[in-house]
Amino acid sequence: MALPLLSRSLAGLLVESSSITHQRTFSVSAVAAAIQKMTRVRVVDNSSLGNTPYHRAPRVIHVYTQNGIGKVGDKVLLAIKGQKKKALIVGHKMPGDRMTPRFDSNNVVLIEDNGNPTGTRIKVPIPTHLRKHEGEYSKVLAIANAFV
Amino acid sequence: MRIEKCYFCSGPVYPGHGMMFVRNDCKSFRFCRSKCHKNFKKKRNPRKTRWTKAFRKASGKELTVDNALEFEKRRNMPVKYNRAIWDKTVEAMKRVEEIKRKRQARFIMNRLKKGKLLEKEEAITEVKKNIHLIRAPHAGKAKQLEAKMVQKLQEDVDMADEDL
Repeated sequence: MALPLLSRSLAGLLVESSSITHQRTFSVSAVAAAIQKMTRVRVVDNSSLGNTPYHRAPRVIHVYTQNGIGKVGDKVLLAIKGQKKKALIVGHKMPGDRMTPRFDSNNVVLIEDNGNPTGTRIKVPIPTHLRKHEGEYSKVLAIANAFV
Repeated sequence: MRIEKCYFCSGPVYPGHGMMFVRNDCKSFRFCRSKCHKNFKKKRNPRKTRWTKAFRKASGKELTVDNALEFEKRRNMPVKYNRAIWDKTVEAMKRVEEIKRKRQARFIMNRLKKGKLLEKEEAITEVKKNIHLIRAPHAGKAKQLEAKMVQKLQEDVDMADEDL
């Protein structure tokens, strides 16, 4: 009685697992979510797009990772002043890895499609563990004033 | 690698320990353990929380101005590497640490000496107040009276001698 049930459930599982490998699952745990869609962020560089006031705060509309969670060093798509712009996450409120600082706000640096920063200076402290992506974000690190 | 100081308790934060928090005014705070972090989040003032070094220094319970403490201050000028300087610095560090500990201990001992004097005075006043528990009220009165009479008689004799 139990065996055929077991075998049927096993078969079901096998089918499911094969379909899951072709899907991209999104993170469903709210606990592990740092920056996701619809989070309001703070732009910390001195670009005009980031600093001119608008009646709506800049929001994340897409996170470029496998699951939709953005941590420090991930790229996101922002909606600012009615336009879309890519950005790099440089700090979030959620406690991250050991030996990485926690920030008081979700900080973001505006970036072009090729990875060049839009602004010319970043006054807010940037975590030093971004340096391991030296190749991609070297220009962003170059315009940063303070490291933490 | 650098051993930082905890913002709240001023204890050492070794690498791999504690937490760092960066505020929106770009000031960074390091904490050695969650105790200090939680107190910080409760907005407690370290200068008023009795167990912190900040409180002890602010209320004069510990050595604050001393030459031995100048060595700990952070310098932002890097020194050019020189092997001799490196070796000497290590030895100097050991000696300075020794001297610092002795001075701090002496400071605290001096502070606590006053307590001993006060204690002694307190003990004396207590004994005087409660002497009736130890000695009967009219214990030596008879002998005292006798001694006084003897003294008076002696004085009379002396005066009589002078007159003569």
